[in-house]
Amino acid sequence: MERLILNVDALYLLEKEGFNVLKSRLAKDEDDAVRIASEIGFPVSMKVSSSHVIHKTDIDGVRYPINNPSDAKEAFRELEMNFKTAYPGKDLDGIMVQMPGRGIETIVGVHRDSQFGPVIMFGLGGIFVEAIKDVSFRIIPINKKDARDMIEELSAYRILTSKRQRDMDINLIEDFLVEVSQFITRHSEVKEMDMNPVFVSSAGLYICDARITQEF
Amino acid sequence: MKIERLKKLFSPESVAVIGASDSFEKLGYHVMKSLVKGGYRGPIYPVNPRADTIWGIKTYPNIKDIQQEIDLGIVAVPAGMVPSVLHECGEKNVKGVVLITAGYKEIEDFQGEILEQEIKDIAEGYQIPIIGPNTFGFVNLTDRVNASFTYEFSLIKKGGVTLISQSGGFCHLCGFLAMEERLGMAKLMSLGNRVNIDFPEALGYFLKEDKSTRVIALYIEGIDEPRKLFETIKSAGTKKPIIAFKAGKSEKGDSASRFHTGSLAGNYNIWRGALRQSGILEVKSAEELIDTAKVLDICAPIKGPRIAVLSGQAGPGIIAADAMEKEGLRLSRFSSETQDRINTLLPPVAIRTNPVDMGPAWYSPETMLNILEAVLEDSDTDGVIFIAMFASANLELTRRMAMLLHNIEPFKKPVIACFTAPAGVWDEDIEKMDGQKGLAILHTPERAAKAMANLWKANLTMDGNRWRD
Repeated sequence: MERLILNVDALYLLEKEGFNVLKSRLAKDEDDAVRIASEIGFPVSMKVSSSHVIHKTDIDGVRYPINNPSDAKEAFRELEMNFKTAYPGKDLDGIMVQMPGRGIETIVGVHRDSQFGPVIMFGLGGIFVEAIKDVSFRIIPINKKDARDMIEELSAYRILTSKRQRDMDINLIEDFLVEVSQFITRHSEVKEMDMNPVFVSSAGLYICDARITQEF
Repeated sequence: MKIERLKKLFSPESVAVIGASDSFEKLGYHVMKSLVKGGYRGPIYPVNPRADTIWGIKTYPNIKDIQQEIDLGIVAVPAGMVPSVLHECGEKNVKGVVLITAGYKEIEDFQGEILEQEIKDIAEGYQIPIIGPNTFGFVNLTDRVNASFTYEFSLIKKGGVTLISQSGGFCHLCGFLAMEERLGMAKLMSLGNRVNIDFPEALGYFLKEDKSTRVIALYIEGIDEPRKLFETIKSAGTKKPIIAFKAGKSEKGDSASRFHTGSLAGNYNIWRGALRQSGILEVKSAEELIDTAKVLDICAPIKGPRIAVLSGQAGPGIIAADAMEKEGLRLSRFSSETQDRINTLLPPVAIRTNPVDMGPAWYSPETMLNILEAVLEDSDTDGVIFIAMFASANLELTRRMAMLLHNIEPFKKPVIACFTAPAGVWDEDIEKMDGQKGLAILHTPERAAKAMANLWKANLTMDGNRWRD
């Protein structure tokens, strides 16, 4: 049996495993959204949350920054409308209200290959993954040296070490990759996983969104 | 698989050729030719029920009719006869088999797979290691055993490079390139359909057991259980450099996956990462494989990325410098003492800093060699690329260099040279110098630079470090 875990649920699962995730909760209606946003603290980001939506940006399903309660209400209505237009008659779980991430967007993923078994992927988010497929793979388990190698192997490596990012600690990514590898070794039921984006800055490393398939 | 059996297979003290023939159209003819003309030193037993002698050698109707012990059986009979021949080999206690016969898993007809399973089961029963089926065989240049149907492989120079290939065609490509490039080889083989000797078994053997193998080159199309290969390397714990050419670079990921990772997890992407993870240096062409293997076998390890370029003409030197900088090496900055030495050897009519234009020493190989020695002694230089192009006026250059070249091994620094001349002019001298006294000679400045960079990467990897492309 296969189970797809998305959005808040995926983040919750990962947080339980000891990973840093951006604080996120699911709002069921406008007032709920305002309440959660106030708890997290403005500005927040708001995102469509539904198992039908694979790429949220495809249906204009993300709003950021949301700076005050009236914006939050408006964003909720718009996002709900966008979802209903794209997926008439389908269920929307709600709108995810989330603390905004900052720093460089990276993607970390896991796949189980029919020959190699579990493999881990690292890349920079956005166009680096989508357009030029600048990613590196290693077979799990990996050690810290492998992790470092994966990072340095990227064509976009210099972006991570550029002056603007001087305060960013690449060690954080290394440790994270090793922890993900360990997590997969512990959890054979995790069949596939995308963590995208994962924000990295001097403030730390935070998973912003994730998608997990479990197989029992 | 018992190591003893693999030893007997690859270095047999006696060989039987089942399906031996005197007819040029039969592979059994060519296998006989390889053994006989290739200079095999042990006894050869042709097996063929329809002949008394083959290649002038006493022939037996059945392998079981041979009284003496047989280490290696080379089988080149039609597919239908293979099972019974294998049973006979097993009963005769043959230690290992090369199964040249094709028509198994590699064919479209599903019958091929069934036949292969049958072979596998027979081999299992007798515990016989088999190279193949669907292979041209193997060549052991160290011990002059040409157990293949291509005699000409015996003409490859003897050396320390072993090629383990999934394809016979690639062995032919590399084998003949190796002759052209004067690459010294220890063994080359195609594993064919890998009925019970797959990459992990072969690699493990040559990593741990075969002393004559100093460098291993792999040609891989695809493996069912790639992790085993990496585990073999890890557990071998030896420091022989391994390079690999991975063909079939499909980037197609898991098309069923709706995940980013899954859709990007193309087989080649994973291979690329996994090779690096196990310290295997990936090469991207047959030439690069040959060049890199040659330099790894001949040259001293390189301890850093600082390279001196010495060139008889400025242009090729600049090309070499550009090419190696792109690969992560850099021009060394000579110590003032070294620069002084060069300055006393060369008049100030050309550029004497790195890359050094040795043009003014055109007529003096002695001076060129003195400059080489000066930079080899330079503490800020880790390796040297030495270049000279032919011109009518320096016809004698290589002849005298070959005479005067001292052994550069004591300097413990790699020197890659590149001599380019019209065919036939410098060939003999180049042949004399190549692979001698620590010097490797490659074709072009770019290839010399690339090979030097690969030497650096391989050395880094073996020391447990990493490089950046």
